[in-house]
Amino acid sequence: MIETKNINFYYGSFQALKNISMKMDANTVTAFIGPSGCGKSTFLRLFNRMNDLIDDTKLEGECLIKGKDIYDKSINIDALRKDVGMVFQKPNPFPKSVFENVAYGLKVNGITDKKFIANRVEETLKAAALFDEVKDKLNKSAFELSGGQQQRLCIARALAIEPSIILMDEPASALDPISTSKIEELIHQLKKKYTIVIVTHNMQQAARVSDKTGFFMLGELIEYNDTKKMFLNPDNETTQNYITGRFG
Amino acid sequence: MNKKTKQKLAFLLFRLFSIIIVGILLSILGFIAFNGIKVINWEFLSTMPKEGMTEGGIFPAIVGTCYLIIGSLIFAVPLGVMSAIYTVEYAGNGKIVRFIRMMTNNLASIPSIVFGLFGMALFVTKLGFGDSILAGSLTLGLLTLPIIIRTSEEALKAVPESYRTGSYALGASKLQTIRKVVLPCAMPNILTGIILSVSRVSGETAPILFTVAAYFLPNLPDSIFSQAMALPYHLYVLATSGTDIEASRHMAYGTALVLVVIVLFFNLTATILRQRLSRKLKNK
Repeated sequence: MIETKNINFYYGSFQALKNISMKMDANTVTAFIGPSGCGKSTFLRLFNRMNDLIDDTKLEGECLIKGKDIYDKSINIDALRKDVGMVFQKPNPFPKSVFENVAYGLKVNGITDKKFIANRVEETLKAAALFDEVKDKLNKSAFELSGGQQQRLCIARALAIEPSIILMDEPASALDPISTSKIEELIHQLKKKYTIVIVTHNMQQAARVSDKTGFFMLGELIEYNDTKKMFLNPDNETTQNYITGRFG
Repeated sequence: MNKKTKQKLAFLLFRLFSIIIVGILLSILGFIAFNGIKVINWEFLSTMPKEGMTEGGIFPAIVGTCYLIIGSLIFAVPLGVMSAIYTVEYAGNGKIVRFIRMMTNNLASIPSIVFGLFGMALFVTKLGFGDSILAGSLTLGLLTLPIIIRTSEEALKAVPESYRTGSYALGASKLQTIRKVVLPCAMPNILTGIILSVSRVSGETAPILFTVAAYFLPNLPDSIFSQAMALPYHLYVLATSGTDIEASRHMAYGTALVLVVIVLFFNLTATILRQRLSRKLKNK
């Protein structure tokens, strides 16, 4: 599904990613872990070209999604972002109603059929395990929801446009434990239909939700392995030290 | 003198000065209100001036000021808001943008009489609009552009970046993001700027002096190429160059009161709007 070849990435003269090659399969959850500033979020944002919004950056290497180089000149960035959804660290619903938040992605992608939109909004709110909680508040401002509900609304918003990949950048780091477990449950559900890549600070979370885990440090991919193996018996000593909490 | 007495004395002074300032403001307003209220009635607001402006009303001046407000907004709002969108959303923070911003700030500090002269040279003479509502509106529009640009820029900058990235991440283009997320969110603050510029437009005399304002017109303006009367200029006429200044004095106070009420009304609206918005943002 996603494949990178020898990725180097620079912020100005600072090299944030060093020669990273990895492959992520369809319908799996891949977690990126590592200490702050290790480049895992930067790497994640390559897949929907969010780094394009930052000035003075440089990319080397290839980043393929479904076999196509997404940094090729022929790629339509808006279409790419429609196919590769993203959920951010802090819930960022628009200052609009719950309904409009989910409908937004459909509308900007040219869908005008009101009935279709209404159906899809309900479907995706259900898929994001939020519908029962908000069905009486669809026309209320999204800011009236709790933080956890807002984050699930943002997930619903991303699901509405039927992406094939969902990127999650520490989606639960601003949430309480109960909301976090709801999000994790949701990730389990979503795996059946979507390919998910999640950046997390929380190693237990990586262990709980992911099939494969990549451990990053100082811009390098130290180890990439099955999550079980990674947490029980990692190949690399640095990984072992990090996971057992000897540093980080 | 010990510390405590010093402090008491200082505070006393501060208090005294602020009371003086409020007193001055209130006495100006009170003076105008007291003298003006006597002539304010329906006839004053709705009829033409009569008897060499010593009788009758100020209706054409009110109408003229309304036309100038609308005309200047039609010109300045789209131009100002769009240029703010350009500098904030598109242009980044390069040399050109900093130059534009510097020029905008300079534009704001040019005396209004200079705008009047410029308007006369460009719109009245060069472009051949003559003394007209069009020329006056364009001149007033130029005057308010910096206000609208600055407040719109601030309004756009206040929109959280996370709304924009959230929108891009759903496949929205930059234009869609601006139109559907950024602008609606910035609108209350932009409106505040627009209302402030309205209060500026309704009170300015110098820019309309050479471009639109008429001493007296027997009829209401019938096109954008007509001259018009306007409240601030009418006040100036009544106070300095009427046929019988003493006899039209009461009319001048009435006009001043109407003008002050209009300006206060717009300022109050802007203040309320801004407070509502900040309350809304705090609720988040």
